[in-house]
Amino acid sequence: MVYEFRLPDIGEGIAEGEVVKWHVKEGDEVKENQPLVEIMTDKVNVEIPSPRKGTIQRLMAKEGEVIKVGQVLIVIADGSSAAATTLIPAAKPVPAIAKPPPSASRQQGISPAPIQAPKPREVLATPATRKLARDLGVDLSLVQGTGRGGRITDEDVRQFKGLPRPVAATVAVAGPRGAEERIQLRGIRRVVAQHMVKSRSTAAQVTHVDEVDMSEVAHLREKSKVSAEKRGVKLTYLPFIIKALIPALKQYPYLNASLDEEKEEIILRRYYNIGIATDTDQGLVVPVIKEADHKSITQLATEITTLSDKARAGQLTLDEIQGSTFTVTNVGGIGGMFATPIINYPEVGILGVHKITKRPVVKDNQIVIRDMTYLSLSFDHRVLDGAMAAHFVNTIKQYLEDPKLLLLETD
Amino acid sequence: MMTTQKTEVAVIGSGPGGYVAAIRLGELGKETILIERESLGGVCLNIGCIPSKALIRIAKLKQRIEAAKQIGLEVSGINVDLAKVQTWKQQVVDRLVSGIDYLLKGNNVKVIKGTAKFTGPHELEVTTANGAESIEAKDVIIATGSRYFDLPAFKFNGTTIISSTEALSLKQVPKNLAIIGGGVSGLEMGTMYAQLGCKVSVIEMLDQLLPGTDIDLVRVVERSLRRLGIEYHVKSKANSYRDGKVYATLEDGKEGTFEAEKVLVTVGRRPNSDGMGLETAGVQTDSHGFIQVNKKMQTNVPGIYAIGDVVGPPMLAHKASKEGIIAAEVIGGMNSEADFHAIPGVIFTDPEIATVGLTESQAKENGYEPIVGRFPFTALGRAVLAGETEGFSKIVADKTSNLVLGVHIVGSEASDLISEGALAIEMGATLEDIGFTVHPHPTLPESLMEAAEAAKGKAIHIIQK
Repeated sequence: MVYEFRLPDIGEGIAEGEVVKWHVKEGDEVKENQPLVEIMTDKVNVEIPSPRKGTIQRLMAKEGEVIKVGQVLIVIADGSSAAATTLIPAAKPVPAIAKPPPSASRQQGISPAPIQAPKPREVLATPATRKLARDLGVDLSLVQGTGRGGRITDEDVRQFKGLPRPVAATVAVAGPRGAEERIQLRGIRRVVAQHMVKSRSTAAQVTHVDEVDMSEVAHLREKSKVSAEKRGVKLTYLPFIIKALIPALKQYPYLNASLDEEKEEIILRRYYNIGIATDTDQGLVVPVIKEADHKSITQLATEITTLSDKARAGQLTLDEIQGSTFTVTNVGGIGGMFATPIINYPEVGILGVHKITKRPVVKDNQIVIRDMTYLSLSFDHRVLDGAMAAHFVNTIKQYLEDPKLLLLETD
Repeated sequence: MMTTQKTEVAVIGSGPGGYVAAIRLGELGKETILIERESLGGVCLNIGCIPSKALIRIAKLKQRIEAAKQIGLEVSGINVDLAKVQTWKQQVVDRLVSGIDYLLKGNNVKVIKGTAKFTGPHELEVTTANGAESIEAKDVIIATGSRYFDLPAFKFNGTTIISSTEALSLKQVPKNLAIIGGGVSGLEMGTMYAQLGCKVSVIEMLDQLLPGTDIDLVRVVERSLRRLGIEYHVKSKANSYRDGKVYATLEDGKEGTFEAEKVLVTVGRRPNSDGMGLETAGVQTDSHGFIQVNKKMQTNVPGIYAIGDVVGPPMLAHKASKEGIIAAEVIGGMNSEADFHAIPGVIFTDPEIATVGLTESQAKENGYEPIVGRFPFTALGRAVLAGETEGFSKIVADKTSNLVLGVHIVGSEASDLISEGALAIEMGATLEDIGFTVHPHPTLPESLMEAAEAAKGKAIHIIQK
């Protein structure tokens, strides 16, 4: 028996994955549950184990290729009959619409062979599109056609394959001096690229910037650092910022929201899952601190450390990167004054936290040295306006400049 | 000592499958040897499609000239010099054969005249006029076609009991002709000889003429056969031929006798898959002798491909050619396969029949709810002015999606009209796609536009309540 193993449903809302690495090759013997392949879906990597024992007949995707849930991933012969040498049929044969009359002008009579009953056609695509699908290795029966009456267009086939629109004929021009290197857009880089474009092309993004005096927080952090370290917790500024962010989100629920464009409704979320933009060797990953409003500064600090370690090791689970309602991006450790972060779509706000530096500021008519930083809030102007954004940042600022106020907050 | 030639590809048979495959291989830069035991072009070009259509054209022309008397074009003294017609027909064939020869040369295909036999999966022995030579090829395409069946009681003798080959080469119109087998070839030949003045009778064993063809279409052709004085019998069996008469058991069980200067036997074709060492190569065939292939025209033996009649019905030149291109491209490393939805079939009776896709009943069997649009040639300006008002165009479509499932035409030039239907089906066109397309007036293809509209009750030139 030849068994076609299709990419299983690996998590909510995951429709496709990229083949990162094959652990087996054609002709290998595999045991049940032996890892076959590493698949990357929406920023996490999943090991797919073999569903059965047998011989690998064919790998249906190359490394770097994107395949859809339900598409044939691998063909395994389990050796239950001599079928190992037979040709593997296509996942689903393209049915013939009809056999014409068994004879016609160009033959001399009726053939004795029975007329095969015609089968209904399942895919609607022109011959040229069918050819394109063959060339790209796309099984048309799995493609959702966007054309009239479900017709599958060239574009549908390319999109199914994760390919961009074809570029108009490229004209060869004399290259610049010096070498160029071409790096394939793969893995996290590709996912990030897609997300950013989606965000920028959908949300009406505006960035509001304010400066914040972090001296009190710095003081508090300095005092608690040693006791936290004793408990094995590395205390950064980030947990304090999240702690100050929560009451602001509660006060301005439109920042902890998303827009349902189809129904034209704004969804306000009464739970607070904070995404933490994390830099890894592979690219940007956003693990999520779930129910951040129920967590203490120490708990937040611990969780940030755990999640960012896992992110850098590429060990985040799907659950750990899904469900954020607002995102914080902290580039303060690297430098810069401030930035205009791109919203982690479909959220409506992202808070950029920047470098804290000692600067002379005027306080009570005195020039004093304070620990200053900038906060940059990018928000979706479709959902809220600049005034609310300013109020929101003012609130965060208020808590950060006077962290004692946080004591008054309950969860 | 036998010489051995090595080549990348060997193609056995130069019919419309084999020669097309060889040309495509040449285009793809493959070193190719084409082996043909008779003439380039195979049955189709030498003793099939081309010569039969050439003669049919002459017969039809004669009939049209005679009929023109009614519209004021009187020609007297029409004389058919069949021997001269045969010379012209041969010129047509020769010209096309030399065209193929030219194309093969231009694509660096080497032609060997001889009979090939497998001595191994990649080894062939070719018997030529100058002795045997052996060929070693990485890939082999089998394009050996098919040949007639004969009947035990009617063994071909080349003079009185003949196949279509001889029927296409007669130097004189026989006085009377009995045709055993009322299929495509039988009726094409029968119509032609009747139009040339021969008394024709047709004996068919199954329950309709042109078995497998939509009976609606066949009825129109039957009328024309009767008008030509052709006597036909279905559910009848020819038993013997003696003293210039064919004796048959007719549909009512009674004995029938048919005067027959010649007896033409057209009862089907069988694949040329025997006697060529397929067993040695390990190539599998089915119980009818057809070679089993997949959509890439690959047999069970790696490197051996088969195309055309030898892989099974429909036995059509255009199917063979397409399959030849696919096999050549697969050998050339391309990702080609036979993925066509429908293959048109054409019958050169008078009027002609042409069909593509599903009939109404096939559409039902396949779970569609079919709607049918029909438009008669009597309502078509061009058909009326040409005096060719027999027949109709019929389109079968799916009721909910309006998807065109089948196009069936009986009428003048149906063979030229059907390609629009084939394109519609391959493109997944709907009734509106055909109906909304501007068709020039006055032309016969207007019938397809009107049939598409008729399916929705909105044809213009017929009354639809």
